[in-house]
Amino acid sequence: MPILRGAVTFSRFLVQPDEGAPSDLKRSLSRTLKARAFAPIERRSEEERAAGFVELENHDSTEFPAGALFYGEYALFGYRIDQIKVPGPVLRAEVDKWAAAFQKEKGRPPSRGEKAENRSSVRQMLRNRAVPLTKVHDVSWNLKSQQLQIWAASRKAVEEVLSAVETGFKVKLLPLIPAAAAARMGIEDSALGPTAELIGMELQAEVSHGEA
Amino acid sequence: MGKREQARAEAAFMRGDVGVDGAATEEKQDAAEVERGKAREALLRGKAYLGREFLTWLLWRSEAGETLVEFEKTGVTVLFLGRVVLKGISGDVTELSARGAMAPYSEQVRQALDRGLLVHQARLLLTHGEKAYEVTLDAEFLDIRAAKLPALMSEEDDSRTTERLYLAEQLSALIHTLVEAFVAVRAGRAWSKQVVPAMKEWMRGEEGTRKQTVLQRAANVRKR
Repeated sequence: MPILRGAVTFSRFLVQPDEGAPSDLKRSLSRTLKARAFAPIERRSEEERAAGFVELENHDSTEFPAGALFYGEYALFGYRIDQIKVPGPVLRAEVDKWAAAFQKEKGRPPSRGEKAENRSSVRQMLRNRAVPLTKVHDVSWNLKSQQLQIWAASRKAVEEVLSAVETGFKVKLLPLIPAAAAARMGIEDSALGPTAELIGMELQAEVSHGEA
Repeated sequence: MGKREQARAEAAFMRGDVGVDGAATEEKQDAAEVERGKAREALLRGKAYLGREFLTWLLWRSEAGETLVEFEKTGVTVLFLGRVVLKGISGDVTELSARGAMAPYSEQVRQALDRGLLVHQARLLLTHGEKAYEVTLDAEFLDIRAAKLPALMSEEDDSRTTERLYLAEQLSALIHTLVEAFVAVRAGRAWSKQVVPAMKEWMRGEEGTRKQTVLQRAANVRKR
C-alpha cells in the first residue's frame, strides 16, 4: 500500500476534463469507480486476467462509500489486476502422464483429437487449482489542484491505470514533463528542438507522441 | 546444384532476399548503427531530450549550491547524489553509469557530458526551507522514484496519510517549479547564446572550479 506506507514511487499527471466529463466530478466519482469496478476472474470461463477499481484499504471491496474514498481534498482508490497463469511445463507434464496411462490401458497412444480434448480439461483443472496473482496500484487524485498520481513502479502498469482513468472519467491525464509544461506555458514546439551543442549533433525533433 | 538447393535459391529470389547474382539484396545493418538508432529514438520519443537537457542544466546549476528557484516564498536548492546515468546518441558510447559520492560532479562525468552524453537518471536531494527530500528522477517521464520524504509529524493514521500525500505533492510541485524555470530559460534567447556556452565551459573545466563548495555540501548532507 504505497500511499499509506512503503516506497514513495509514483507518476505525476495533471487532470484535464475531456468533452462529456461530468461537471461535478466529486459526486460522480463513486458512480464511475463502481461502473469500472474490479470483478474477480470467473473460474469457469477462459479469461486469464481481470482488472478494475477497488477501495484503497480493502482490495476486495468495490462499494466506494465517501468515508473510504475521500481523504480531505484527495480521492484515493486502487486499481487491481488479477492474473491466472497455467505454467506450460506443468500442463505438458500432466498431459504426458495421462498419455502414458492411456497407452498402458488401451494398448495404443492417444490420437491427436483425444490429446487435445484432454489438454483442455487438464488446463481447466490446473486453472481451478491456481491462485491468482494480484497486484494493486494506488491512485491519489487531488480534486482541488487536479493533480493525479499513479503509485506504480512499472511503466506498463502506469499506462494501464492511466488508460482506465482516462476512459472511465472522460479526462485527459497530462504528464508533468518539460514538453507538457512548455505547451501549457504557450511555448511553441519550434522553440524546443534538441540542442545540437549538447547532444553532439544536429537533429530534428520528428518523433513525438503528442504529450506536448 | 541439387533440385532442393535450386528450389531454395529460387524461393529466396522470389521473396526478394537475393538478386539475380545470388547475393543478398539488403546489407545487414551494422550493430553499432542499430544501437545508435535505438538511442536516437529514445532521445526523441515524447521529447525526452528536453528531460535530459533539464537534468543536465540542473546538474550544472546545482554545483554552486545556490538557491535555484523560489517555491512558496522559500528558496529551493538541489544536490545530485551518488549514481548518475548518462545517455547519448553520438560517438561509440550511448550509455554510461557513474557511481560514487560525488560522481555527478566529477571530471569524468563532465567530460562525458562534453562529448554529447546527457543526464538521463539521477538521485537528487532537494532542500526547501527546513524540509529535505531525496528522489530519483529519470528524464523521460520525470516520475518520482524511491523518494525519501521528510519525517511525518502527525500521529493519527488518517492525519499521517494526509501529511504523506501533502509531502509527496510538495515534492512533485518542487520538481515542477524547477521544470518551469528550466523551460523559461530553454525557450529564451539566452539559452543558445549564453547558457549553453557556459554549460560547455563548465563541462570542459574552463570556468572557475567550485568543487570545494560541492564537497562541503556533500559533507554537510552526510552529517545530517
